[in-house]
Amino acid sequence: MSNSEPTGPAPLDVRPVKPSIWRRLSLVWLVPLVALAVSLGAAWQNYADRGTLITISFENASGILAGETTIKYRDVTVGEVEDIEFSDDLAVVLVRARIERNVAPYLDDDAQFWVVRPDVSVRGITGLETVLSGVYIEGNWDTEADVAQFNFTGLEQPNLIRANQRGKTVVLRAEDGGSIAAGAPVLHKGIEVGYLEAPQLSLDGQQVIVNAFIESPYDRRITSSTRFWDTSGFSISFGASGVSLDVNSLASLIEGGIAFDTVVSGGAPVSDGHRFDIFANEQSARDSLFTDPNAEVLEVAVLFEQSVSGLTTGSEVRFQGIRIGEVSQLSAIVVGEADTAEVRLQAVLAIEPSRLGMGADATVDDAMELLSDFVARGLRARMVTGNILAGTLLVELVTVEDALPAIMTLTSGLYPIIPTTESQISDVAATAEGVLARINALPVEELMDGAINLMDSIERLANDEYTRAAPASLVALLDEARDLVASDDVQGIPRDLRVVISDLDGLVKEATEAGLISDIDAAVTTAAQVAENIEIATRNLPQITADIETFIAKANQLELEALVASTTQTLDSIDALVGSDDALALTATASDALASLRTVLDGIVEGGAIENTNEALASANAAAQALEASVGTLPDLVERASRLVAQTEAVVNSYSERSRFSSETLATLRAIQEASDAIFSLARTIERNPNSLLIGR
Amino acid sequence: MGSSGPINGLISARDAGLVACQRCGQVHPLQTRYCTRCDGPLQSRDTESLQKVWAWLIAGMIAYIPANIYPMLLTSTLVERSESTIIGGVIELFDHGSWGIATIVFAASVLIPVGKFIAIMYLAISVQRQSAANRHERHKAYEVVEFIGRWSMIDVFVVAILSALVQLDTIATVNPGIAAVSFALSVIFTMLSAQAFDSRLIWDADRMQQ
Repeated sequence: MSNSEPTGPAPLDVRPVKPSIWRRLSLVWLVPLVALAVSLGAAWQNYADRGTLITISFENASGILAGETTIKYRDVTVGEVEDIEFSDDLAVVLVRARIERNVAPYLDDDAQFWVVRPDVSVRGITGLETVLSGVYIEGNWDTEADVAQFNFTGLEQPNLIRANQRGKTVVLRAEDGGSIAAGAPVLHKGIEVGYLEAPQLSLDGQQVIVNAFIESPYDRRITSSTRFWDTSGFSISFGASGVSLDVNSLASLIEGGIAFDTVVSGGAPVSDGHRFDIFANEQSARDSLFTDPNAEVLEVAVLFEQSVSGLTTGSEVRFQGIRIGEVSQLSAIVVGEADTAEVRLQAVLAIEPSRLGMGADATVDDAMELLSDFVARGLRARMVTGNILAGTLLVELVTVEDALPAIMTLTSGLYPIIPTTESQISDVAATAEGVLARINALPVEELMDGAINLMDSIERLANDEYTRAAPASLVALLDEARDLVASDDVQGIPRDLRVVISDLDGLVKEATEAGLISDIDAAVTTAAQVAENIEIATRNLPQITADIETFIAKANQLELEALVASTTQTLDSIDALVGSDDALALTATASDALASLRTVLDGIVEGGAIENTNEALASANAAAQALEASVGTLPDLVERASRLVAQTEAVVNSYSERSRFSSETLATLRAIQEASDAIFSLARTIERNPNSLLIGR
Repeated sequence: MGSSGPINGLISARDAGLVACQRCGQVHPLQTRYCTRCDGPLQSRDTESLQKVWAWLIAGMIAYIPANIYPMLLTSTLVERSESTIIGGVIELFDHGSWGIATIVFAASVLIPVGKFIAIMYLAISVQRQSAANRHERHKAYEVVEFIGRWSMIDVFVVAILSALVQLDTIATVNPGIAAVSFALSVIFTMLSAQAFDSRLIWDADRMQQ
């Protein structure tokens, strides 16, 4: 090695002396040491600060990115998603996130996580920042540290209620969630005092459950007598005052809304989670004061064999005409097995025990017992028509008298089953069809035929010569009667009577002359009275005759058309007989009867009683003449009698005048009238029974 | 090589009993402590050179670890916020088909630093062992390392320029990550390491061989 030039300087031992390694150590080694220390320190710091690992399970991880998506609490980033993976069974997505250590202890039972996404609704736009920055996970928990949790189930929808918010949460039940949207306002007297959370189906799927949060201090307005109703959309009502259009806020128009009011006072304060029903409108809410939504309901099933079309969820259930519940569910189920399997339509009835007349503290079991008892005694369910026009049905529980024995089936199926009986459904379509069928079945053609026949018969009858002859016969009959009355014989009766009376007068005079001289004046007076009576009688006789003539004239004037019309009406009413030949025969018979009557009259005229009467009168006349002859020898008497008669006539003539003796005269006249009546009745008796003159009775 | 004289007529300054100022090139007698021209310290051979090399090299390698683990760039745009490490960025660029850029970034950020580490370690070890192999190549390697070391800073420059330029608030923001600092430190450390290497030691090794 050291074979350097000899002329050069002595070779140096350039190899450095090696002192101890520590002394040779350069300060520059501090640099890597510091670097290492810093690196290790940073690494440890990083490890120490990386936060608590929590796991949130979501249905899906849409928008969530590992390493990017942050977790925010009240808009402050408190963590970051570290990893996203599936659970073992792929059921959920597990999002693992690091939460800052100082926040982690607060993540207890009430911690909730949800993914904030952009949301555009009528109430505004939220989460807009996530359009650009991507979604983030919002967490919410209260400020009290409890037992820290590390596994959470993420909410699919944002929870509207913040854990720190003061207010009250009530549970609302609705039949239909169509008009309810998450975030919809809860109004009280028009003021927005809360909001709804996302509606959910109840566990049995029968109802929609939605939590409503009422902010403090408005939550104090909620008592057990508070009623909630749906104010969504708009309502149109027609009334006497016209059309009323009721529109609430635009927000509630689009996404629905719930209003509440405490209708009556005296309600008890409610706690969180109290259940209320949502009524369809304010009116029904106010009407429903007696419905207790917290009351338990007894659910029983009814299996119908026929169609339940028209029966809907919410249809009434009536017992003896009183609403005791409603239909809560309709479905088809299969009963029986194998070959005997049938499909039945099952209606589940939700019955409120309190409406069965049981006490307020009656339990469902009590009601069940009562119903079982009723069923054993013949209670059956049936469908009856609720509204014939709408075709709606309702379920009625009725007691059937002669029901086949049955019991409530408690064991099979989900609900106890009430046996059914025949339903009373009067479907409007079926009814109309029945009406049409009946109309169709009417013998219209026969009716028309009958009517035509009737008309024909009437025409035939009217045209029948006998019918036409009937008025003529009647006229002839009347003519006959008139002739009879007007005949000389009849006319002669008064004349004959006058003769008789004059003869009688003569007789009386003779008697007076002959034997009763002392009382002659009285006798004469009496005779005069008699004579006067007879005079009056004879004066009345022409009047009678005139009356008879008037009667006959009236009879003559009878309107033949009216008669024919009457006849026609009569014939109308007996249409069954009209068509028969007997009617024609009857007409003929009637004509015959008239003819016979005429014959009888003819007989009477020709040789009947009147002539006999005349004969009797003639006999009386003869007797009188005989008497007259016997007294003809007493001319003075006759003369005096004549004077008396003349005097009497004068007296009679004076009757017409008003005299101062009028009262006496009237009395006298009454007496004369009586006497003349007696004579008249005598005359009538004679007329009726001429033989009495002959027989002497 | 000649046994009693400089090979090919070349003698080192020390052979001539001189010492050259590393800074200004002034030659002084061997015992001179400070340069008469620039007042720089004069050392014929830096006895602590290898220690410094190793120290800086180790520091550089330590710094290189977080430079690769932590994100180099924090890019926030309207739609996304991304953090990319060096290798991640290279892979991403590669995936996007930007092969050229991916290659450049890979070369500048991975190949060159790692190559430098290896080269410096090789040089240091070879000098320590006084290996005589590849003398020329070692010289060349040293020169290359010295030359190319500064180019590794290209990454840092890119990050620095981007960070300075792209500050558009919410629309787009580029921020340097921890890795940028680490990488810069790593590059600086390795440059210092390369500088601390006294290339004259290679000559001595040659000479000892002879």
